[in-house]
Order: sequence, then structure tokens, then C-alpha cells
Amino acid sequence: MRSMLKMPGILIVMLLVVSGLLGGCEREQRDQRREPAIASEPVYDGVIIAMGDSLTAGLGVAPEKSYPALLESSLQAAGLNYRVINAGVSGETSSGARSRIDWIINSRPDLVIVETGANDGFRGISTQLLYDNLAAIIESLLANDIGVLLVGMQMVSNLGDDYRSAFNAVYPRLAEHYPVTFMPFFLEGVAMDRGLNQQDTIHPNEEGYRVIVENLLPYVHQALNLERQRDRPL
Amino acid sequence: MIQVRFVLRELRYGGAQALTFILCVALSIATLTALNSFRSDVHRSLLNDAQKLHGGDVIIHSHYPISEPLEQAVRDIQSRAGADLARVYGFNSVVRPEVADGSLFVNIMAVAPGYPLYGSVDLASGRPFGEVLQAGAVVVAPEVLSRLSLRIGDRLRIGTAVLTIVDTIDYDPSRPVSIFSLGPRIFTSTGDLEQMGLLGVGSRSHYEILLRLPEPEQARKIAETLSRVATAGQERVETATTARSQVKRFFDNMLFFLSFISIFTLLLSGIGMQSSLSALLRQKQYTIAIGKTVGATYRFLLLHYLALTMLLGLIGAIAGVLAGLIIKSTFPLLFGEIIPAELMLGVTIGDLVEGMLIGLLVVVLFSSLPLYRIAAIRPVALLRLDLTGNVGKPATYLLAALVVVFLALLVVRQLEDVQTGLVFMLGCLGFIAIIFLLTSLVLRLLRALPVGNLAMRQAFRSLFRPGNATRSIIVTLASALSVLLTIFLLEFNLVASFITSYPKDAPNLFSLDIQRGQQEAFFAAVGKEAELFPVVRGRLLSINGEAIDYERENQRRSDSLAREFNLTYRDTLLDDEIIVRGERLFEASRPASDVVEVSVLDTIAEIGDIDLGDRLVFSIQGLPMTAEVTSIRSRTKSKLYPFFYFVFAEEVLAAAPHTFFAALHLERDAIDETITRIVTALPNVSTLNVADTVVRLGELIDRLARVITFFSLFSIVAGCLILIGSVLATRLERIRDCAYYKIVGGTTRFVLSITVYENLLLGMTSSILAAAVAIVSSWLICSAWFNIAFRLHGGALVIMALTTCAAVVGIGLISSLSIVRQKPVTFLYRQNG
Amino acid sequence: MTAAILVSSRLSKTYQIGGRQLPVLSDISLTVSRGEFVVITGNSGSGKTTLLSVLSGLDRPSSGTIRLADRDITELSEDELAPLRNELIGFVFQAFHLIPSLNALENVMFPAELKKDPAAGDKATRLLERVGLSMRRQHMVSELSGGEKQRVAICRALINDPPLVFADEPTGNLDSTNSREIMSLLLELQRERDATLVLATHSREIARQADREVRLADGRLVSGEAS
Repeated sequence: MRSMLKMPGILIVMLLVVSGLLGGCEREQRDQRREPAIASEPVYDGVIIAMGDSLTAGLGVAPEKSYPALLESSLQAAGLNYRVINAGVSGETSSGARSRIDWIINSRPDLVIVETGANDGFRGISTQLLYDNLAAIIESLLANDIGVLLVGMQMVSNLGDDYRSAFNAVYPRLAEHYPVTFMPFFLEGVAMDRGLNQQDTIHPNEEGYRVIVENLLPYVHQALNLERQRDRPL
Repeated sequence: MIQVRFVLRELRYGGAQALTFILCVALSIATLTALNSFRSDVHRSLLNDAQKLHGGDVIIHSHYPISEPLEQAVRDIQSRAGADLARVYGFNSVVRPEVADGSLFVNIMAVAPGYPLYGSVDLASGRPFGEVLQAGAVVVAPEVLSRLSLRIGDRLRIGTAVLTIVDTIDYDPSRPVSIFSLGPRIFTSTGDLEQMGLLGVGSRSHYEILLRLPEPEQARKIAETLSRVATAGQERVETATTARSQVKRFFDNMLFFLSFISIFTLLLSGIGMQSSLSALLRQKQYTIAIGKTVGATYRFLLLHYLALTMLLGLIGAIAGVLAGLIIKSTFPLLFGEIIPAELMLGVTIGDLVEGMLIGLLVVVLFSSLPLYRIAAIRPVALLRLDLTGNVGKPATYLLAALVVVFLALLVVRQLEDVQTGLVFMLGCLGFIAIIFLLTSLVLRLLRALPVGNLAMRQAFRSLFRPGNATRSIIVTLASALSVLLTIFLLEFNLVASFITSYPKDAPNLFSLDIQRGQQEAFFAAVGKEAELFPVVRGRLLSINGEAIDYERENQRRSDSLAREFNLTYRDTLLDDEIIVRGERLFEASRPASDVVEVSVLDTIAEIGDIDLGDRLVFSIQGLPMTAEVTSIRSRTKSKLYPFFYFVFAEEVLAAAPHTFFAALHLERDAIDETITRIVTALPNVSTLNVADTVVRLGELIDRLARVITFFSLFSIVAGCLILIGSVLATRLERIRDCAYYKIVGGTTRFVLSITVYENLLLGMTSSILAAAVAIVSSWLICSAWFNIAFRLHGGALVIMALTTCAAVVGIGLISSLSIVRQKPVTFLYRQNG
Repeated sequence: MTAAILVSSRLSKTYQIGGRQLPVLSDISLTVSRGEFVVITGNSGSGKTTLLSVLSGLDRPSSGTIRLADRDITELSEDELAPLRNELIGFVFQAFHLIPSLNALENVMFPAELKKDPAAGDKATRLLERVGLSMRRQHMVSELSGGEKQRVAICRALINDPPLVFADEPTGNLDSTNSREIMSLLLELQRERDATLVLATHSREIARQADREVRLADGRLVSGEAS
């Protein structure tokens, strides 16, 4: 006979999960971004929206240590007076990102950094769906004259070579097809480095985000230059 | 030295008082024995389950291959302590059939021979797991077959290996722990890992080492040893009982509750002992006075009455042990569904000895005051029927202090935690102090009440006569009742929140991340329309201009205001919502402005100290939005219903990016199939099946309620014994009063009506006080601890009050009957010697 | 209607102790007239208290009959006797037997209240004034001296204006001054109200004041049967 005591185990764990989910509170997602003071909003030369999942939202680090915040100060230090808006939603897949693209467009940004797909990969979601979603996002942004910086993602090897190579190929294919600036791998030099990641081995720590911004900065400059060139004739 | 004849002779005329005393002792010992034995059953069963759940006594967990120092330490323990070891690798992957099309995201658990160390993985074929799972073979969850349209014997491509499906999983003891993983489970043998080629650089896997110790009690010590060499921040060493401690915490809470009841019963029995022994000695005071007159020393008398007490205590202890054994033998019948019968051992000698020791300690403690009183009886009592045996105040206080210290030690011992025990003890003292104060207040009010009816007035007078134990009786009764009622109200509200409010057609399947435009496809997959809740992700930036502090929020024990919230929009209240502040969800007409309206749930309003009219600034994925709080809502039902902290009007958020959350009710048999259809049609949608949870939670609470009710019965019995004891203790006064009433012409009816009124007053005062205290305390516990809505059970209150009054009056009447029947002349003759 | 208020004929009372019959009263016939003051004397253990108890209906005789105010009370039940006692009899005891939970006034009022006399309070106040205790009427029993307690007890015995008062060694617990005061008070009140007083005592001094003395020895009447 099996013990009935295991029941509370299941039940309590599930209860917590359920109430957590129903409560609209995935407890692990504890991050927050401090918005610049709203009353006396400084004047910017332009707006960059960092769109993405928990890697953008900065899960597990303080809001001012997330990559959009670090990017903004790096740009300011380089004399580029851009505002970088963190539009990261933890746990989001490319389907979610696609469904909210209009909201991003409504903010009339000059450039959108598109970072999504990791959650698709971790759930083994079809790579074709990922491709389609990203393509739709890019097309919408381009159609609205918004610059796109696409950041690539690479999947962990345990998902199997078939899936992994199909996944990893999605981003270069898109970059070939669309006039976007392309950073091949968002976590270049950071992924799998114990010193640059949090305990869960997935999310970068503060040091990791510094490396990411360092890597990202040239691409942002490139994308902004491209944007300025495009804007000139107008 | 002790004259046995004297003791036996005194015992012979003890009668009802002696019996009450024996019953009190028996009750306290039976409760302790039964509960301690039940506690060890629960611990044993809990350990057993924890071992099965985690597959070992000590679990080493890492996201990287286990470091060499830790491996070395494990080897040491293996050879030194003779521990068994099993290695487990867990990771997600995408598998495909060898020949057909299609792929499936799965959770792979590669296990070494010997797994699981505790319990078993049950297979559909019924064959032993260890024999079936050989190299080259896989055992899969049934969904793997149905989703890929495969059969047993088909081959599956996992990484670069091709493995044969040999069986399906019927029951996987570790599954509850990994409920978060999204794919169905596949067991493979560690021998095939290399061929799969899925682990290595660039892969993400859980590396686990499970240890089974010859002595599971060593787990904590060994885990500590291993922790010291483990790589900090990377390798985690846990024991089965510390890991995932919700289960343990749950049972700790229950045992705490039961311990509370048993200590309470012990205290009540102690009071019962004291009052019945007082009554007994009072009856003997004539003998004692004569004894003193003819030269018996206090020492002689004390020794002999102490011997008498101990004799009664011993009889009670033996009766208690027997009762405990009988109660214990009914456990498999009563609690067989909670604890497997094979884990319920009989009462151990240890349990018995401990129960006896504590019980006898209680006897000594609570007998000391009445025995001490012997000293105060003077030979003059012969001449004058002096019924008030006075003991010096210091002695009384000293004994009260001793009782408190003893109980504190007992509480700490029973709860196995000094801090909790002391807090609990202080809480109890506070609780009793409050009841004491309330009682004094009520009695003062009653005393000032003008009463016309003669019998009623006599009843009042009788209650307030100097030296009467009215206040202590009411305090005791009210405490006992309020504890019982609190227990009942808690149980009622827990059941109401988790079970009753979860009717048969309540949602049992939840789906998350349904995108806009997927609603129709979702309904098609489910086969019916379903309620969809829009979810908009956003964050709270500031409250009334004050920015949310990330560091501070993350240290909060309750929910953090700094996390990403799921916002929603709708214009109406849900069925289980009520407005607690404000008129309606949103103001009816509002001038157009940049500030929108938001309705806030009371729980988060409390956390953030948010009130009506406050200005909240949200960030909806980058866009700031200022909202004014126009209402505060509360939920009336269970945690299993969806709820949202922040609700906006539809026009405010309809344009914002949102997904949908669906709550469905499906037939249990259809759930698996429906999930398959949903994930096939909408791969981005996640589902959560709570059908089993709900049913099992219901059964569980029902059974736990039974355990608690069972142990609560003991304190009810103790309460009755106290009442009897107190009537017996005032027996002489009652006989005297009765004789006086009759001599001046009162009829039996008149005397009885005084008894009824008096006891009715006692019962009513006690139950009203108890109800008030119970309502406040259960409300506090419900809202602060369990965080569920509190509802009053009017019926229970009325029944409690009626039963109490009936019991008090009944017991009062029955024990007064012999008094009332007595002819007054008997009393007079006795007076004249 | 005769002038006799209390008539007993051939009263006997026997106690069963172990297997043995122990006679306490034997063959007592006694008639008491209205307004008479009868003293029952005898040595300790002669049966005085038992005789008073049986005559007043507090105890039941083993044989013989008692007529109280022309009513045979021998066979009445305890609950039939109680209202009769309330109306017809007042008691004064050696040990006072006041209700300790009541104050002086309430003790006095009590019998009147039992028969729902609306004037209970007034009557009690007047009686306490009469015995000189109006200042102490709010005092609890335990706060009164022995003499005061007995005065309260006398008031209680008389509140319902009973035709018959039984007193059992009413001065037994008092010093000689108090004894004399209590006795004269009792007699004054008895005469004022024309009540009958049956008093048990072994005090010669009190016996001398009586209209008639009935002597008990070993449970038998040795003098004063007739008249």
C-alpha cells in the first residue's frame, strides 16, 4: 500500500503553484525597474525600447542593474542622449512578444532591440513558430519606420542536435532576410560561465549584464547610425 | 510509617470526588499517550514519504557535474557509513520517433541502477522498475505514447541515441517535486547518457546524488558534513525532511495544533484534579480537625493524604494508560487513510512511561495546593463549621508560578522549539488574562444588575458569595469553550475556503499565455467556450510619488511590490469579490483626464499601505500610467479561484498587450486528451491540471478535521470533569444553603430553580465570553495566518451556547439532586453533632 | 376550632443504627395552646432537638401523629410541608443558620419574599428597627456579632407573623448579657404578636419565665404532659 501522506505533498505544492499562478503572481519574477522621475522628465534625443523576456527584464537583479538601464548610461557616457525603455516581460515566449508589438510601436521609438525566443526553446516550441513570430515582429517595426536590432539566441545542447541547430539557425536566417542590425548571440561570453550567471545558470548576474552591454554597445551604435542615415532624407 | 488502614478508610468515603479525580488523571494520561504515539506515527510516515518523494535521505543537487571534493566526501561516507548511492541526471529535451514524423518536448530522468532508493516507480506492466530499465530501454509517461502515436516496443530518438520504449509509468513518487516541468517524463538508464550526447558543454542539466543511510536519523549530520565541502552557491545538500519543507511545515502545523489541544486538555484535567481533590479534602476536614485535636501532626496528615492522592493518581494513571492503549488501537480505523497502517506502531513503552511521568507530575503539581491547605485546617473547625480554608497568598502564587513554569517546559517539549513554545505560552497567558479580565468585567456588570425574581436573585447571590469559585469556573469554562470554538471555526473556514467553495463544476484546468487571436482556436481545442481573463504584465513604479524600493521589497516576507504584476481589466466584480472600500469598482462618471482608475485587492492594499484616492504609477511594458485607487476589493472564497491584485476599466487596458488566462471545468477523464489537443493546436499555451489536487485536498482536509475533532473531544470531557469537580467542591455550601431555604419554607422546586438559574448564568456568561474570544481569535488566525476569508458560523455559536448551558445546567442539576432531596433536618442534626 | 395550635399524640422516633433500633423519642403526647410559651427542658441527649424537629415537621416521626393549626401534618411530603412552615412557623436556632450570601435585611425578608409578599421590605425594615439593628441592615452575616445574628434570626422567624415559633437553645452560643437581652426580646415580641413559643433549653433561668415546662428524659416526658 502506498502512503497517503504523500498527498499533502502534492497538494500543498500544487496549491501553492496554483494560487501563485491564479494570483497573477509568478513569485520568481521579482524585478522592478525604477522609472526616471515622471514629473520633470528630461528631454532625450531619442527613444530605444528594449523588448524581450526575463533576460531583458533583468530577473533577479536590481532594476538599475538590468541591461537596458546599463545601456542607457553607457550611451549617455558616449554622448548619446537616448532613453532606453525596459519592455521586458519575464517568462514570455515569441508569441507573447508578437502579440504586443503594436503597443511597442505606439510609443514611437527610434530603435527596438528584439530579444526573445529563449522561453520558446526551453519549452521545445516549434522553431517554425519562433521564426514566424520574429518575422512578424520585424515586419511590423520596419513597416512603421522603426529601426530593429535583432539579438540572436542559442539553445542548450541537451535539447538534441536537431532541435538545437534548427533553433540556432532561426536568427541568422531572419537577419539575412530583413534589413536589420544583428547581434548573433545575446549571451556571447556569458552563457554557461558560472561567474557571470545567477545560481539558476540561466540568468546573468550584474557582472554578466555588464559584459552583455559591452558586447551590445557596438551593435547599438551601428543600428543608431543606420537609423540616422535613413532619417536624413526625411 | 504510613498506616495503610488509615489511607484505605479515607478512600472508602471519598466517593464521587475520588472518582472525578481519578477520571481527570486518566484523561490527561490517555490524551498524552495517544497523542505522543500519534505524533511518532506521523513523523515516521512523514519521513517515509519524504524519503520516497526525494528518493533518498540525503540529496546532493547541482546544475554542474558534482565537484571532486564533494565526490570524495560522498565516497568517504559511502565506505564509512555504508550508505547506498544512486545518481540521477535530469534535463529537458526534444525527442522524436525513430521512423515517424513529429517531436515532443520531454523531461528526461537518467537514473543509475538502484534508483529509487526508497519507494518504487510503478509500471503499467507491474514488473519491477529496476529489471525493466536496462541500457537501451526507456520507460515513458503514457502521454509520450499518445502524443507521438507510439506503442510499447517502438523506438525513440533521444539525442544521438535510439532507445526502445519498454513500459509506461503508472506512478512516479518523485513527480510531485517536479510538477513544474512542462514535458512528460521519460526514464532512461545512465548507461545510455554518453550515447545520447546531450550532456556536456552547453547543456543544462540537474546533477543529483541520492544517498540512503543505514540510520536515516544521521541524515542531518551527514548533510552538514557534505555541505562543508560543497561548492557554495552551486551545490546544494539537503535531507529528505528539509527539502521542500511545505509538507513538513503543514504537518508541523497540524501537530502543533494537536499539541496545543493536548496541553490544553492537560491543564483542564489539572484544574479538575485540583477542584475534586479540594472537594475530597473538604469533606475530610472534620476528620482532619479531629486528627489534629487528638494530636496528629501536619506531617502525619500530609503524608497520609499525599499517599491517598498518589494512590488515586496511580489508579488514574493505570486507567489512563489502558484508555490510551484502547484509543490507540482504534487509530488504524480512524486515521488509516492518513497514515498507512503498517507505519502505525503500537504504543511504545517510551510513550507509556513518558505519559505516566508527565501525568503524575501533573498530579503532584495540581494536588499540592489542596494538600497544603490541610495545614490551614484548625481544630476549631470542630466547633464551628468553617468552610473557608485559607491558604496564604504567597503559597498560592508560588504554586501558580510553578504551574506556569511546568506548563512552559511541557509546551517547549511538545512543540520541540523553545522560541515557538515561549511565544505560544505567552500567547496563552495573554489569552487567559483577557478572558480573566472580561470575566471580571461581566461579573461586575451582573452584580450591579437589579433582579426582581427571588430565585434569580438568590442565584446571583450564590454566584457572588464570598469565596465562591465563580470567576475561576467561568474563566476555565470560557477558555475551554473558546479554544474548542476557535478550532471549530478554523476548521469550518478552512473547509469553506478550500472545499465547499470549490464546487464540483469549479475550474480544474487552467491555461496560461493564450494570445490575442487564439481565443477561437483555444475554444475549438477545448470543445467549448470558457471564461477568459485578460492578463496585462506591468509593474508598479510608485505610490503617491514615492518610488518602490527594490531592495526593501525583496526582503519582505509577504508579496513583493517590486515584481512584475499581472494586471487585468473588466468592468464588473467577479462572483467571489466584494467591495470593501468605495462605492463601486470604478466611479460612474469621471471627467476625462490622464489619471485612470484602478481597483485594488485588499491583500496587496495592506502590504503596500494603499488607500482610496492614492495615486499609483504603473509601467505597462515601458509606458507609464498614473491611476487613482477608486475601490478596494476583497475575496470571499478560496485560493483556488483566479484573482488579480489590480483591476482596470476595460477602455484603459484593452489596447495594452495582453494574453488570456482560462479557467475550465472538464470531466476528469477528458482532461489528458484536452491538454494534448490544446498543446498541439496552440504550442505556446501552458496548461495546469488541478483536478486531482482539488479532490485530494478535499479528502485530506476532511481527514485532518477528523483528527483534530477527535483530540478536541478530550478537552470537552476535561471541561465536564471540571464542572463536576467544581460542583462537588461547593457541595457543603450547597447542602447548607439548601437546608436554610427549606427551613424557612422554600420548596424543592424553588431550590432547584435557584440551581438552574445559577448554572444557566454560569453557562451563558461562559459561552458568550467564549464566543466573543473565539470569533476574534479565529478571525485573526484566518486573516493573518491562513490568509482566507472569515465567515461566522451562527449555527455553531448557537449550538455551542445551548449545549454549554444544557451541559452546565444538567451537570449542576444532577450533582445537586442528592443535595436537594436531603431533608433539612439532616443538616441540622449534623450541626448539633 | 380549639385553642390548641399544636397537638401531638403518641409520638415516637427511632433511629436505625447498624442493625439495632435506637429509640430517641417514645410515646410523646403534647398539646400547646395559642399564645402559650412552652419550654422543653432536659439533659443533653434527652431528645430536645429531635422533638422540636418532629413537632415542626422538619423531621418525620416513626409513629404517632402531629396536628398543626388543625391540620394533620404527619403524612405530608417535604414539599407540602415547606409552604406550611413558611406561613405558620418561625425558627430560631442556636447556630443562627443565617444565609451567608445575604445581608441582614435580605435574610429577614427572605421568608416573606418566598410567599411573594409585596410588603416584605417594609416589614423587614420595621422589624430590624424594632430589634435595634436598622443601622446594620446592609451588613453581611459574617460582619455581625453573635447577638446581632440572633436578633436577625428572630426577625426572620417573625416576618410572616407565624402563630408558632420554635426556638432551639437560642442563647446557647451567647454570653450571659446577650442571652438575657435576646430572651427578653423574644418574649416581648411573642407577646406583642400573641404568638406561641416552643423553646428547647437546659437553662433553668429561662425555664422559670415560661408558662409551662415540659421535661424530657431519655426521650420520654417526665412532667407537663397535660394542661
